Amino acid sequence: MMQSNPIPALDPNPLPAPYWVFKLLLIVTFVLHIVAMNFLLGGGVLALTAKWRAKNGGFGGRLFSDVAKKMPVLLPATITLGIAPLLFVQVLYGQFFYTSSIVMAWPWFLVLAMLTAAYYGFYYVSFRSGQHGGKAGGVMLVSVILVFLIGFLFSNNLTLSQTPARWATKYFADPGGWNLNLTEPALIPRFLHFFTAAVAVGGIFLVFVALANWKRDREYARQVLQFGGKAFMYATMAQFVVGLVFLVSLPRGLRMLFMGDSPLAATLLLVGITGGIAAIFVMSGALRNENIRAAALYAPGVLAVTIACMAVMRDLLRDAYLSPYFHAGQFAVATQWSVLPLFLALFVAGVILWLVMMRRYGLLGGKKEIERPQP
Amino acid sequence: MNYPVWDVAFGAGLLIALVAILHVFVSHFAVGGGLFLVVTEHRARRKNDAALLGWLKKHTRFFVLVTVVFGAISGVGIWFTIALISPTATSNLIHAYVWGWAIEWVFFFLEITAALLYLYGWDKLEPRLHLWYGWIYFGAAYLSLVIINGIIAFMLTSGSWTKNHEFWKGFFNPTYFPSLAFRTAIALALAGIYALITASVEKDAGLKARIVRWCAWWIVPSLAVLPPLGWWYIRRIPADVWASARGPMPTATHYAGFAVVLLAVTFVLALLSLLKPGRMHLSFSLLVALVALGAMGSFEFVREAIRKPFVISNYLYANSLYSTQIPGDGGFSVDEVNAAGVLPSAKWASNRDLAGSNLAGVGHEIFRVECESCHTANAYRGLKHYIALRQWDESKIQAMAGGLEFMHNGVMPPFAGTDAERGVLAVYLNTIEPISAEAAVAATDGQTVFDQNCSMCHRVNASDPLFKNLTSDPAAAGEALKDLTALFPLMPDLKLTGPQRTALAEWINAQRSAKGFGNPAQGGK
Repeated sequence: MMQSNPIPALDPNPLPAPYWVFKLLLIVTFVLHIVAMNFLLGGGVLALTAKWRAKNGGFGGRLFSDVAKKMPVLLPATITLGIAPLLFVQVLYGQFFYTSSIVMAWPWFLVLAMLTAAYYGFYYVSFRSGQHGGKAGGVMLVSVILVFLIGFLFSNNLTLSQTPARWATKYFADPGGWNLNLTEPALIPRFLHFFTAAVAVGGIFLVFVALANWKRDREYARQVLQFGGKAFMYATMAQFVVGLVFLVSLPRGLRMLFMGDSPLAATLLLVGITGGIAAIFVMSGALRNENIRAAALYAPGVLAVTIACMAVMRDLLRDAYLSPYFHAGQFAVATQWSVLPLFLALFVAGVILWLVMMRRYGLLGGKKEIERPQP
Repeated sequence: MNYPVWDVAFGAGLLIALVAILHVFVSHFAVGGGLFLVVTEHRARRKNDAALLGWLKKHTRFFVLVTVVFGAISGVGIWFTIALISPTATSNLIHAYVWGWAIEWVFFFLEITAALLYLYGWDKLEPRLHLWYGWIYFGAAYLSLVIINGIIAFMLTSGSWTKNHEFWKGFFNPTYFPSLAFRTAIALALAGIYALITASVEKDAGLKARIVRWCAWWIVPSLAVLPPLGWWYIRRIPADVWASARGPMPTATHYAGFAVVLLAVTFVLALLSLLKPGRMHLSFSLLVALVALGAMGSFEFVREAIRKPFVISNYLYANSLYSTQIPGDGGFSVDEVNAAGVLPSAKWASNRDLAGSNLAGVGHEIFRVECESCHTANAYRGLKHYIALRQWDESKIQAMAGGLEFMHNGVMPPFAGTDAERGVLAVYLNTIEPISAEAAVAATDGQTVFDQNCSMCHRVNASDPLFKNLTSDPAAAGEALKDLTALFPLMPDLKLTGPQRTALAEWINAQRSAKGFGNPAQGGK
């Protein structure tokens, strides 16, 4: 027997800034996180595909090793960019997120072990990428599968956090926390929706790899461009089916938001879909003409609009799920004026310093400063 | 009871300790090791020491694999774990200190980027630029310690925050600076300790000896300043809080002892490494690291233990109840739960029927929401063990649970709830280690009677009220012990048998004369 209202009470501390500040930070940092994650997971899946399609030579082996070398950077990027939305989701949705995490505590805790194993796996592969044979492919496969499963656990937790009505039954069935949210009809479609997006954006990542090699080795870069570009196109086409299934799997009331009940949600969906179609056309043209600029700049540019729309839609969907229990007005607000400006100043300074660091290294269009091999 | 309680069979507290201790052992290395890298690189370049540079490059890879991978994930791991085990505390900390964490995240982002560029830049960058990345790494890493230290110290000594809820008042709390200095010294020592590991696998004996001697410069002075810094730290902790580690609370006392001993052993081992630095074996360096891990883990254990019964001092108890009623507490302060009852207050209980047939089941629910944040039934801090040790039957458990807040220097929060609820908690606890009413009063030697019934709150010393005030006349003392609540209203209403009371009174007298406590004041009562 549960109390009628299963939602934990807020703690006594007010929000230390207006609601919209956290909402904005949550959505923006989530987009950055999801892009890094897509590069990691999608890039990993495509690198493995390329390796096994080209068992006897071809560009696959080289592409595999190129991507493998990037994995130890993409994973910390994903984690670091993930910490920020993890922080902000707790600020706004702690009542829901903590509870669902506790209901599926062990699988959620195991994310840490899986992440550690995947991380060391990626390092293993990257340190061995120059060598032939060995276990690199197998280790990479295991690491990519671990990342895939971590994503699945995130989908479980976030769908569970939005459906408080399911908590009690699951919790009391096993207070030890060996639960998942497999009975949620939208779980698999939602997860596949994110996975398909990861493959598509992973294709864009390969286009960037092609760009990096465009001047050095045109033949290789062309092959990578074709492979990555096509992966992007096919995955995005598949997304029309997967996304539709996801939409249909939502409870009717929520689905109708995107079908016109909420003009904002419907507009975002329309713009998002249009952006996806446009990106396919841009990419298709770029591949036909081998126009690396269009493939690496215009297609991702159009796609960025779609990703932004999707991130806002995801947020609208969460708030719609939680509307019986949650509303922005529930928070008392007392902006911490003694700290917030400091954060903003340090944030801006941090971004500038970060850009300088990247450019001095020769990344992000910078020119590498005087190189000298060291002993 | 606002959030569901994750029922970790072997103990939630143990899990959090495991994640946290491994994390701090790596994260402090991440700070001190950053300085070690740049200072060593400067030194090697100035001396044109190519061999040392070659080793340092390998050490950088080790450093990144340990700190950027394990350090970063275990840091996130603490987030995951505290949110699972102490969601109320986490929620409070997040809302009070989210901008602190946001600032730390900026530093963390720079730190990770700089670490990777420093690693990958070894073969690519001009030395000055390479060092520039190293310095940025160390600066960012140290600043993240500067931030997180404020929040950790706040949990131990919340200062005036509980009154004014001002960010900086809680941040620069009484233990902020000693804790920062203490942790800085630990970070510098760990830089040398970890470097011994990569030095030990170096083949060139001359180079190895140079590195080991260089490491000693990091370890020995840093460890040497820890005792005075620790003294400063302790002085800034309220005396009654620190008192827990001086006997009354077993966990804090034992770990304080371990910390001192293991620190000394680390120090000696570091000096021993200088005897034959060129021949230091990997196993020796791992031993030093292991002992240092033990010392550091013990220190963190002490800090967490003396903080009890609080998770945020003078604000929130370890079992997620607020120590005083405050606006917006959701009804989860001790007073409110006392008035309303645990079962009606708890959002997460499946069995609330105090009049039903499954009282043990109801008691189990109460145990879960009030006690499981620290205790288990029969594993880590298992009640089965304590009950067996003290031979408490159901009625004694119920009586003792009325005074939890007095036990072991107040390490536990008070039981919150009604008397009836305390009764069913006792019913449940009696099922995990059934003790009969006869067994509970079977002991007849004074020492055992004291250990089983008094030692949780009373200590054998001259100032303890029991030894100070109880009359020395055995017959009168036996009579006085008949009704404990008449002696002092906060005492549990224990019913000792006549022979037990006499034995206890005689044993107390024997202690007084053996330890020279003198006679009770004014004849005693």
